[in-house]
Amino acid sequence: MSLWVDKYRPKTLDELSYHEGLTTRLRSLANSGDFPHLLVYGPSGAGKKTRISCVLRELFGKSVERLKIDQRVFLTPSKRKLDVNIVQSNFHIELTPSDVGNYDRVVIQDLLKEIAQTQQVDLSAKQRFKVVVINEADLLSRDAQAALRRTMEKYMSNLRIILCANSTSRLIAPIKSRCLLVRVAAPSLEEIQAVLQQVAKNVGFDLPPEASEKIAEESNGNLRKAMLVLETLKMQSKDLNSPLLTIPKPDWESYCHKVADLIMSEQTPAKVMEVRGKFYELLSHCIPPTVILKTVADRLVDKMDESLKADVMYWAAFYERRMRIGNKKIFHLEAWVVKVMSLYKVMCTSIY
Amino acid sequence: MRTPPAPASIDCLSGLSFVFTGELPGFSRDESVSLAKRYGGRVVGQPSSKTSFVVLGNNAGPGKLKAIEKHNLRTLDEDGFMNLIATRKGPSAGGKVDDKTRKKMEKEEEEIKQGAEELARREEAASLMFLSSGEAISRLTQLWTVRYAPKTLKEICGNKGQIEKLQQWLVDWPGSSKSDFKKPGKNGTNIYRAMMITGPPGIGKTTSAHLCAQLAGFTPIEMNASDARSKKLIESGANTMNQSLDKWLTGKGSLKTAQSVNAAGVEITSRSCLIMDEVDGMSAGDRGGVGALAALIKKTHVPIICIANDRGAQKLKPLLNCSFNLPFKKPDAVMVRSRIMTILYKEKMKVPANVVDQLVEGAQADIRQVLNMLSTWRLSSDTMGFDDSKALVKMNEKYATITPFAIIQKLLGPYMFSPNARETLNDKMELYFHDHSFVPLFVQENYLKTTPSLVRKTDTPPEKLKLLKLMDRAASSLSDADIVDSLIHGPEQHWSLMPLHAVTSTVIPASCMYGNTSYTGPNTISFPQWLGQNSKQNKLMRQLGDIQVRMRLKVSGDKTEIRQHYVPALFPHIVQPLMDDGTSAVDEVIERMDKYFLSKDEWDTLVELGVGSHKDEGVLKKVSTATKTSFTKKYNLKVHPVPFHKAQDLGKLPKKLSAEPAPDLEEAYDVSGWSNATNTQPNFGTRMMTTFRMRTMTTRRNQ
Repeated sequence: MSLWVDKYRPKTLDELSYHEGLTTRLRSLANSGDFPHLLVYGPSGAGKKTRISCVLRELFGKSVERLKIDQRVFLTPSKRKLDVNIVQSNFHIELTPSDVGNYDRVVIQDLLKEIAQTQQVDLSAKQRFKVVVINEADLLSRDAQAALRRTMEKYMSNLRIILCANSTSRLIAPIKSRCLLVRVAAPSLEEIQAVLQQVAKNVGFDLPPEASEKIAEESNGNLRKAMLVLETLKMQSKDLNSPLLTIPKPDWESYCHKVADLIMSEQTPAKVMEVRGKFYELLSHCIPPTVILKTVADRLVDKMDESLKADVMYWAAFYERRMRIGNKKIFHLEAWVVKVMSLYKVMCTSIY
Repeated sequence: MRTPPAPASIDCLSGLSFVFTGELPGFSRDESVSLAKRYGGRVVGQPSSKTSFVVLGNNAGPGKLKAIEKHNLRTLDEDGFMNLIATRKGPSAGGKVDDKTRKKMEKEEEEIKQGAEELARREEAASLMFLSSGEAISRLTQLWTVRYAPKTLKEICGNKGQIEKLQQWLVDWPGSSKSDFKKPGKNGTNIYRAMMITGPPGIGKTTSAHLCAQLAGFTPIEMNASDARSKKLIESGANTMNQSLDKWLTGKGSLKTAQSVNAAGVEITSRSCLIMDEVDGMSAGDRGGVGALAALIKKTHVPIICIANDRGAQKLKPLLNCSFNLPFKKPDAVMVRSRIMTILYKEKMKVPANVVDQLVEGAQADIRQVLNMLSTWRLSSDTMGFDDSKALVKMNEKYATITPFAIIQKLLGPYMFSPNARETLNDKMELYFHDHSFVPLFVQENYLKTTPSLVRKTDTPPEKLKLLKLMDRAASSLSDADIVDSLIHGPEQHWSLMPLHAVTSTVIPASCMYGNTSYTGPNTISFPQWLGQNSKQNKLMRQLGDIQVRMRLKVSGDKTEIRQHYVPALFPHIVQPLMDDGTSAVDEVIERMDKYFLSKDEWDTLVELGVGSHKDEGVLKKVSTATKTSFTKKYNLKVHPVPFHKAQDLGKLPKKLSAEPAPDLEEAYDVSGWSNATNTQPNFGTRMMTTFRMRTMTTRRNQ
């Protein structure tokens, strides 16, 4: 009864369906006996984690799939206790240091050294080293990244690190130079459709190509999203052949579209405050500010006059950068909204 | 600033009342108000039928214009106002004043004279006493605040009703003591054994307490912050007066046998009254003092009057429950003026009424401070002009903390940034530094709520555009401010950027958007939402993290992926069935949750995370109560797979208890409870705990 996305996740390198070249390379790496540190990057929903677990399986065999979760407590220098959740098997360990915010350095230092200094005790193990998978590596603070540098070289005999990130731009150069960079690009429309068809076949229903095409388009190259949408769609509408089929949008996306419509409807202080309220609602319900900005901007560009599109996107990029540097995201979101409103108003008044 | 003309006489505006509205071209609001006051005029905020003139500037408030029409008031423009000053003759120059005003002035003068005579008489009597008793201190060397302290209830300025209540309570004390504080009396005060007077400094709280006690025939005994008042001292009575407060408790009875006399030589009888001054000053050194005092109040046989400045203070909580609250307000400026004028007449100082008003206003009705200022001034001069008083007030300015609400009213209000405002950039930045963490948040919350003065009518397209331009400038400046803020609070801590933050976060937005602010409706100045929203976000983020950890064994995505894709995708599986099918869907939902190791708590979070059509309120409304209860019941009945145990779930006995002696097992369990206790471990633990607690409680009581 798991969701399809989890049920039909490929477990071995052989089952992977797209990026054939990458799969071959990963297989030969895993079998070479000279496995490097990896930095796997690409957009979310492209299959980074799936590929990492396939590589682990190739390295250590089936027993790597026996996972357990542990909660470890770390002490900061100021004696604050940090709870960190760790997923591990006998051969590898997976952690998300960015969960503890600024204290990620402590976690990296303590945990990595501990693992690095103990050798693999299981004599039947296929490899002499353990693997540490670090999730959300692009959110690591600079200190934490610096703490990784030397450990990666010094304990190479006991330890390999696989970093998983959305983009490499926030990683410092020394880290990048110590890793083999593996880019997992988003699957193309055809690739997504092929996967969807495969899943439909496995489940045992007929997926019309029009529906799969619609889903693929809607998913923006995020295969996870595509699969979840497919399942929701199958549950909600019995007849997938109907030409009126609409792809269900997630709650936050339709909410963002409402915001965009508000911005277009009227350009007054009262409307800005209404938009602010909606932004607060989205932010407090854990929608990342950059996602909000992108979704609203996309919607605005769809609806607005051609002449304004470039400007709207320019300012969206401008304020997205500021959001990343600054603390209070809502300030920048609001500044962008006001900017867009005044641009729009200028255009409207110049027409008449 | 335009130079005002020479006045026809120094009190040329006396007897007139003014209302100012709008901006005068040549003067700022403060300057014009001060001009009117300088020449003896009265300035009021709202026009009424008694207003003599309304001085109209540009952009006058619509409410005031309506009132002018309604009351048919005379209006002046700036030139007219100047003309009035230059030509009207005040009473001192033989100008005409109408009968009513003259009579009023004469009456006031008469009262002042009488008061001064009374003071003089009293002083004479006192000096006679001084000669006969040979006391060490002469009246003449006393501070004015002591020399002219009120001697009768009539002389206390303001708070008449409250003082009467206090007086009545003291008078009724023997009766209410006899009835064991059961009869509330006409003010409802007689069921209390203590009074709590609260109010700002210098308005006569201590004086009233002493006076009332004396007049009701009690001997006041005062303890203030200079005495140690810790719990131990209050309980054992080893205080500065070497006098156990237990004596207070016994009251009349035991006093017959034990002659108790305090350090000041005052005999403690049932006619004593304890005045606990400055109770909010019972601080670090007086640990437990407030609690002990509250306990004392509950059994005292002498009246206790507590005095404090801030009623809202957290540490006064225990006292508020057991005492009657008497809030004292700042007295009316007129009352204070007549009292001060009397004293000045007695001291043979020539200070006009408007100057005294200025002083009283500047000291925020703190009579003590006004007297101190005047007594110092007296050393150098007998007269005081309007400008002197202004300077004096400025010099003695109390550092008053302005609330963020007042700051934001000033900043976004119409005067701070108007063309003829006299505030410098530094003055404006100073407002930011009153509370540099709150003011920017307030500005951000409220900058869109004004009716900007820079845009007059908002219905024409060019004006609408101008408004948007201003908003844009303000908003982008706020965005700059956040960047500056992250530099200040970032790892490098550039605190030297604070002034820049002041300008970008506060001054620039306010300079664009200043205008009229409203007190009602949707555009009321409000507390920043950011704080609440931010903590809500943190809370939900943490809960989302819990979900992600639990789902981790099945799902590869990170937190944001879970929120963006799994939460909407899980909705039709684990929430929708409960909404549509009700109780029959519960089993299926629970099974689905177990697949992902989600517990009931996580289900709640998943619902709470929804927005728009999935908003938690709307969703929960659609799930019937029967379904909810059956869901909870069924969930609790079954055993669910758990991905891992949290460290804190396992639970430990608190360390502190291990020091206690081991519990007697026979005492711990009754016979029937024994079998239960051995069967289930957690039960065993809780039983041990309760026994421990009971034992510690009994041992304490025995001690």
